[in-house]
Amino acid sequence: MKATFFLALFLGFAGVLAAGHFVPWGAHVRLPSQTRVVANGGRAEQFLIRLPADRIDAAGAKAAGLRAAAPRGASALPPQLTAEPLLVEHFKVRDAAGNVIGLAARHWSADARASGTAWSLMIPSRGALLLTAPGEQPAALDTALRNAGYNAGTAWIGDVRVALAPEGVDTAIVAAGSDEFSGLGGKYSETWTITGVTDGGELHGTIELATVTRKGT
Amino acid sequence: MRYLLLAALGLLIGAAAACAAIYYNPFTMTKSAQLDVADRALHYALPSEVIGFALGDEVVPPGTPKRDDSLWEETIDRTAMLSLVLDDAHDNPTAIASRLLAVSPRTDFVLSGVRVNDYWLLTFPGEGTLFLRAETNVWPFLKETLPVWYLGRPWKGPSEYSPTAGPGEQGAAVVIGATGRFVGLEGTAIEKYRLTDLDPNARSAAATGEIDLRLGAPQVAKSE
Repeated sequence: MKATFFLALFLGFAGVLAAGHFVPWGAHVRLPSQTRVVANGGRAEQFLIRLPADRIDAAGAKAAGLRAAAPRGASALPPQLTAEPLLVEHFKVRDAAGNVIGLAARHWSADARASGTAWSLMIPSRGALLLTAPGEQPAALDTALRNAGYNAGTAWIGDVRVALAPEGVDTAIVAAGSDEFSGLGGKYSETWTITGVTDGGELHGTIELATVTRKGT
Repeated sequence: MRYLLLAALGLLIGAAAACAAIYYNPFTMTKSAQLDVADRALHYALPSEVIGFALGDEVVPPGTPKRDDSLWEETIDRTAMLSLVLDDAHDNPTAIASRLLAVSPRTDFVLSGVRVNDYWLLTFPGEGTLFLRAETNVWPFLKETLPVWYLGRPWKGPSEYSPTAGPGEQGAAVVIGATGRFVGLEGTAIEKYRLTDLDPNARSAAATGEIDLRLGAPQVAKSE
């Protein structure tokens, strides 16, 4: 009887410790990566963001235009931070097949000389990517929409395509990565396709981030 | 029947002893990383300086109402997003941070604690943006807050935490200059925070935090 008790005691103790150590508590659901091999080396992967569904929130200076509009109920940035051009946006990220696979933050800021854009893409099951590029002109999307007939405060339907980081530009780079993306370098392009704007200024469309990466570049 | 009852009792006592061992396990406590000299020390207060946040469905504390805008998709239901304002030493807002967080596969209740991958974009308007990659150990925080929230135990705070647990040298976070005047710089960072209030009814907490940054020219290859 004593032996049974102590055996059970040991099994209970060891079982919980084994579960604490071996159960993959931090594992995330992973979908097959939608990558393809590029003819001259490297691998290409496209990430999509659908607007407005994937927009989590945004904050920024008024000069940043429609994209700076914060969702209802969101806190505003203190004026000290909006004295300089600044736009911070957060999105869900999809793979090329349209499945949500991660989260992204985009920061655009400028000083007297130049502007810069940084994307942090986190795909929980795979790691994170840092993409950087020279930034677009302030309110570049608003300018393109106005040229296509959009007037602030009125609904608009159309098709405007703006490359905020055009394809083939050497300065739009995959700057760093972690876990599965560790050691990768390469280029990316960023294209916004806007198909509509509501009278409240909500953007409808798609953001495409196309990356081409290879090991050790 | 007696053998069965005795075995069940033994299993329960053994499991409880293992839970106690996990709770008091010193291996899952993070050693406090230190920077020799910080180039910049930034401060924040939670929740007053939060600009926006979103939580994955699986990391919403039980009993807390879920928000409509939660991260419900199964691929991101154990993640969180937090954007917050950071102040300088004189409490002037000086930067904005976006934090993307995900429970880490390196979570291990016996050896390393509950690990979270924490990716920051940190922008100083007029200067540029830094990318910060940290692994944080939230187990010391959970150990203290969950019994207060769910078991009605008294809170012994305020408490201080140093959650940064890598991936850089000496347990510091890795910093990479992304845009503006930070391009080409690399460095390290550590985060510390002080839990100042814990409300068991609202399942909420208030904290003040600090992130210390040290930057310099890169000494190793850019992608770690």
